[in-house]
Amino acid sequence: MSALLALLAGAGAGAYGFRTARRLRPARRYLVGALLGTLGAVVVSVLTGGCAYSPEVDAAQHILGIAVAGGIGLAVASGTSVVLASAKGGRDAGSIGSDIRTGTYRLGWWWPWALLLPTIVILVVFLYVPAVQTFTLSTKLVRLGAPRQIEVCLANFSELLTPNPWILVILPLIAVGVMWGLGLWKRRASLGSMSLTAATALQPFGIVVLLLALYYMFNGGPRGYRGIYVNTLVVSAGTVAGGMILGLAVAYLAFQKVRGMTVYRTLLIWPYAVSPPVAGILFFMMFDPTAGIIQHLFELVGVTFPNYREDVFLARFAVIAASTWKILGYNVLFYLAGLQNVPGDQIEASVLDGASAWQRFRYVVTPSLAPITFFLLITNLTYAFFEVYGTIDYLTRGAPAGKTSVAIYEIIRVGVENRDIGRGAAQSVLLFLAVIGLTVWQFKQSESRITYGGGG
Amino acid sequence: MRYKSWFALFVVFALVFAACGDSTDETTPDDGGTDVTAVPGTVTTIDIWIAFADGPRLTYTEERAAEFNSAHSDYNVAVTAFDSYNTVFEQAQLALEGGNPPEIIHFFEAATQEALDTVDADGNPIFKSVTEAIGGRTEILGEPVILDDVVSAARNYYTVDGEFYSMPWNTSSAIMFVNQDILDAAGVAEIPKTWADVDAACEKIMAIADAPKGCITWPNHSWFVEQTLGQEGELLANNDNGRDGRATEVYLDSDGMVAYFEWWKSLDDLGYYIYTGVQRDWDGTNTAFQAQEVGMLIYSSSDTTVITETGTENGFNVVAAPMPYNGDVPYEGNLIGGATLWLRNGLDTVTEDGALAFMNFFSNPANAAEWHKITGYIPITEAAVQLLKDEGFYDESPNSLVASDQLAAAADTPAARGALLGNFVAIRDVITAAAEDMLVNDIDPKQRLTEANAEAQQLLDEYNSLFGG
Repeated sequence: MSALLALLAGAGAGAYGFRTARRLRPARRYLVGALLGTLGAVVVSVLTGGCAYSPEVDAAQHILGIAVAGGIGLAVASGTSVVLASAKGGRDAGSIGSDIRTGTYRLGWWWPWALLLPTIVILVVFLYVPAVQTFTLSTKLVRLGAPRQIEVCLANFSELLTPNPWILVILPLIAVGVMWGLGLWKRRASLGSMSLTAATALQPFGIVVLLLALYYMFNGGPRGYRGIYVNTLVVSAGTVAGGMILGLAVAYLAFQKVRGMTVYRTLLIWPYAVSPPVAGILFFMMFDPTAGIIQHLFELVGVTFPNYREDVFLARFAVIAASTWKILGYNVLFYLAGLQNVPGDQIEASVLDGASAWQRFRYVVTPSLAPITFFLLITNLTYAFFEVYGTIDYLTRGAPAGKTSVAIYEIIRVGVENRDIGRGAAQSVLLFLAVIGLTVWQFKQSESRITYGGGG
Repeated sequence: MRYKSWFALFVVFALVFAACGDSTDETTPDDGGTDVTAVPGTVTTIDIWIAFADGPRLTYTEERAAEFNSAHSDYNVAVTAFDSYNTVFEQAQLALEGGNPPEIIHFFEAATQEALDTVDADGNPIFKSVTEAIGGRTEILGEPVILDDVVSAARNYYTVDGEFYSMPWNTSSAIMFVNQDILDAAGVAEIPKTWADVDAACEKIMAIADAPKGCITWPNHSWFVEQTLGQEGELLANNDNGRDGRATEVYLDSDGMVAYFEWWKSLDDLGYYIYTGVQRDWDGTNTAFQAQEVGMLIYSSSDTTVITETGTENGFNVVAAPMPYNGDVPYEGNLIGGATLWLRNGLDTVTEDGALAFMNFFSNPANAAEWHKITGYIPITEAAVQLLKDEGFYDESPNSLVASDQLAAAADTPAARGALLGNFVAIRDVITAAAEDMLVNDIDPKQRLTEANAEAQQLLDEYNSLFGG
């Protein structure tokens, strides 16, 4: 039953993923897509022995198995579609290479491959092989030094999710439905109408629904992922928002022509040279309830500053503050560079039109920084997801009661410290999917909002 | 223009360095030369990985290694330091999997079961029993063998199936340090012995005019929980704490466990217990005691010397006393803590003898006594105890005797010997997480321990399915 559903999911997702292959007629296009998707789902099912569909495992694994089949189908079909399009030099080949697709190498077809070989070898050895191994390990119970390994299929994943199968089926459908509906509404609404304004205003609601759906899909128990999910959302959002807003503010101030500005600018970049654990140690010492300077300052005015390691809000605040401080220099650096490229004539024009300082900043400076902001958004998110481990390890070690343990911290705690490699790998896969999802979403969002100057 | 490009270059370098700075592990121990055969004139390297990166302990180890090297010119003992037991355990397992593993590895007591169970890629055990390797010899390369003289508490803990697998080195027990000045000010005549005594003393301490922030603290470390179970005569696992066959069941929700957690929570609720908010927080609790924010500190005897001396420097008297116990049940005994030196399997005779000779030299009576003096770890052999007594050391430093006395008073029962468990490190994490949850989020101890027990049971089951049978 669930094996059949998995094949259907693979077929459906494949058809959807292949829908943009323009060279084929629609009917044939969907047929090919469905076949590709089914093929992908079948190959994966055979490789795993169809373990996710066996009657012995719980319902959550069946649902996950179907979802995996769908995902594979989508990936295979859309992958094929992209490869076909670029091989034939179609319009989907990507905007950068499309103008210069007619170049040839005089030395022969093998010459470009020879030039690429070092890169390919490094990518395969250090990226693709470990990635495949991570996926394999995530379906096992593995410990270093153990005489054997045990296949657990998708149990490492399903234990992170709620055991209620209905929630697992219905909530993602609702979330996708709401997001799709809102998108459709926005596209159909006529320009300048009230309807469009409302649709635009309601767009973020789709994200909220998705985040809420995920919250309820994760298990709230000790082995579940709900706590980690909330921590990661709070800490990443805080770090990225704090780091970028403060970075822009500081860069804008440092950009003003004051005496000794080169010195200021150089000094502002320094925190970036500090490694994350050191940032953690610095804030650990500053906020220390016994010997910290913060405690001392509060005592001077007669207030006892609570122990941040026992208070959820303060602990998260300390982690966000330390991570923000550490990345601030990087953001300032790029924003300073960006500010130098804000067109002077536009500023001048806005001054002549009587724009206030805030209006200049809001309507002239900020939009022209959009490409840099987008770049920083991605690098900051990567930082918040992957590099805060050292800071947290020295600042709170996940305390109080695991409330500052974010995804990457938990992966290392489970996979390395507890040597539970399979579970660590499963969480890595989850983080990998989250980052892929976020990146795709960001690119979709930014396509319409960012101009890189020129013809835009 | 030129300035700009130099600046750009500088920025690129700064970014590269910042990126490089993220790598966490800088310790790359060099090759141990495991295949050296007995060729005259060659020097055999013996790598030893230890979990002490702090000043005095690392210095002590390096000095002993240097002494050994100058006495045995054909050997070179090379010390590599890691900053915690967990790290050395992790790194050693990774090295055994596919690196250059050291000849001697410093493993903590909780890793005993896993050290015994772990196999290499060919399915052979990774460690060799030191008893077997010594093979009844009384001296190796001129160094007298001390294994038979090891004090009973350490012997009892590390003897598995009647065999001593690893060479004891640093062995401690949990004891209590009190700030005698605060106790005097509060009018506490006698140092608390039982939990009820602690309650009464805390009431007095918190009532004094210039009361400290709290009364008592100890690190939220599972080791103190295990000590308490030993005192109460309560087992942590079935099959006599895993000493009469592999442990297959854990008892995290036993009456003794619940009683301890309830007492702990009551101290916290009353504001007597200070929780630093960090699990396994040795530094924070010690700092609170030294800053006189608490009157009493339950801690490892391993730091007896430094705690006593620092207290004197901070202007108060530190007195050591046995760890308080549950007065409602008969006292059975405290257990040891610390770590031992494990000998890697599959070494050639020359290297193995060198490693064994160093291990025995390292804890010979004079060295063991010196180690005891600078740290507070118990003197590991009877000869070392005798040497210290003859010197009159305990007349000057009575605090140093407390741990040895406490261990000597312990009954030789499964509960007081301590548990041997698979996946013990992760199970310890489950225990500390439960304690933290109880303290910070105000959760009912019994309910939280029931949850923790299920979690720990799963960890043990999984471990046994991978290693057992």
